[in-house]
Amino acid sequence: MKMIRAFIRPEKEQEVVLALEGAGFPSLTKMPVFGRGKQKGLQVGPVHYDELPKTLIMTVIDDADVDRVIQVIQDKARSGFIGDGKIFVSPVDNAYTIRTGEAGL
Amino acid sequence: MKEITAIIRRDKLPETKTVLEQLGYPSLTIQSVEGRGKQRGAMCAEMDSEMPDSFCTAVKLRPTPSSYALEHTLPKVAMYVPKRLLTIVVPDDVVTKIVKEIVKINKTGKPGDGKIFVSPIDGAVRVRTGEVGGEAIA
Repeated sequence: MKMIRAFIRPEKEQEVVLALEGAGFPSLTKMPVFGRGKQKGLQVGPVHYDELPKTLIMTVIDDADVDRVIQVIQDKARSGFIGDGKIFVSPVDNAYTIRTGEAGL
Repeated sequence: MKEITAIIRRDKLPETKTVLEQLGYPSLTIQSVEGRGKQRGAMCAEMDSEMPDSFCTAVKLRPTPSSYALEHTLPKVAMYVPKRLLTIVVPDDVVTKIVKEIVKINKTGKPGDGKIFVSPIDGAVRVRTGEVGGEAIA
């Protein structure tokens, strides 16, 4: 299993979530986060924004689905300008459903 | 070292904290998150396990869309249920025990009880002393 953590623009969140649902991955957790990237924030005229609001979407999926999920997120979250965000993939050993106590997704 | 990420009901948080304390692993990080599972945030039981469906309909207790979706007119919106996300880093040998205890205390048998993920952690550093590895989380 792999955990996908995608940092995306807040305004793209609904689009990404609905696209994932359409692709068969309805389960996810999201949280609002603040951060900056390579460009060290954003400069608008004299004002410098050091930390920009992003939405973190976290989902755990089977190894075989990783490429497909990344493709879906990329398609929907991309605007082509800086600040589109990043996607991180990390390993997960085990997942448990609390309702049943069973292992597995 | 393993990282246990548990997504649980909001009202079970105090009990879960007590149990972890009793087990001897009191350190944890708590985050307030929203999310949905297989049921897609469409069920009353995901919000509150003790509330009957009829009551939820009466008081219109439903999972809510994100603030962005509320402010904008969208053709279709996704619903989320508020949850608490716990992050605990523990040594390898106690993972099974802790998972079992978290499952025991959080189980209501209704959808929305949450998930627990166990993932590997390569290293840890205690900032105050500079200790690394197992000592840092002891």
